[in-house]
Amino acid sequence: MRYALLVQGGPYSRQAAHSALRFAEAVIARRHRLETVFFYHDGVYNAARLAAPPQDEPHLVDRFRALHEVHGTQLKVCIAAGLRRGLLDEREAARHGKQGYSLEAPFELTGLGQLIDAGLSHDRLITFSP
Amino acid sequence: MHDESMNGEVLVILRHAPHGSSWLREGLDAALVAAAFGRRVTLLFIGEGVTALVAGQGAGALGQKGTQPTLEMLAMYDIDTLLVERQALDERGLGTADLLLPVTTLAPPELAATLAAHPLVLNF
Amino acid sequence: MILHTLNRSPTESRVYRQALAAMGPDDRLLLIEDGVQGALPSLVRHFGELDGQLFALREDLEARGLAGRCAAEVLVVDADGFVTLTEEADKTVSWF
Repeated sequence: MRYALLVQGGPYSRQAAHSALRFAEAVIARRHRLETVFFYHDGVYNAARLAAPPQDEPHLVDRFRALHEVHGTQLKVCIAAGLRRGLLDEREAARHGKQGYSLEAPFELTGLGQLIDAGLSHDRLITFSP
Repeated sequence: MHDESMNGEVLVILRHAPHGSSWLREGLDAALVAAAFGRRVTLLFIGEGVTALVAGQGAGALGQKGTQPTLEMLAMYDIDTLLVERQALDERGLGTADLLLPVTTLAPPELAATLAAHPLVLNF
Repeated sequence: MILHTLNRSPTESRVYRQALAAMGPDDRLLLIEDGVQGALPSLVRHFGELDGQLFALREDLEARGLAGRCAAEVLVVDADGFVTLTEEADKTVSWF
């Protein structure tokens, strides 16, 4: 089956991202395709490129990145929710006159329409909320 | 319950009040985007979410937008199936006359049927 | 059939009542994260008569030291079982 996940909880403050990553592993182990992870609400913080957790804690950003690198999962961040919360890629940072940027590939800023599309076009959408 | 509520593709459940969190606004954004993409959208207000529909809301003290302007745009997006949990209104001493927009109230057994009838359910 | 997930304890949030109100007769409820506290014998009564339809995630129970303390009527599943529940359900709805 084709799976999509929706992550709405921020990293470390809530369990949602941990739950989503554990579920992602199990989905893949059962030979489904995890095609999309969509980040909305505070879930967008899971894409922060500057996250620097202690070495003895799971690195959530790297774990999501690995889903893309190993399994081709698309990591889509709602642009409206992201910009409000300071999650900008290089292009958006330039457009808003910011010196740095906080989000980079393989995470991508996309419209909310991609969530609706994932929800209707994938076989399953599983949500992890704060 | 009106028949058209069974025909929607996307059900957006709104369970949070205006201003206290961004759930209501972000849920409504999802509904508007789905409608803008040509999807038939149903809104279901339950629990505190019913207060989203109370007339006379305003902006917040910092000028932060309320949700009333968004609600007033729903018709423009062809979102006209607004379902409200009757019990949530009763608990708050509210009636449909207190609300901004015409709604259909649902008795408890109709909630499950509404969820079952929509291929995509987003719960905010 | 819909799979509902719930991540709040019935003592902390009334959202479990919304989840129950939205459940159809064949739907299933999976307790995850802090929701697994609802699997304790003294709290499971909040879920009424969900015979064979109430599940709890083993890893979240174990992480909280609650794995051996579940009520008998709660069906404990691991992450693989969670995925299976989502396969069997037409869709999944998250309550939080």
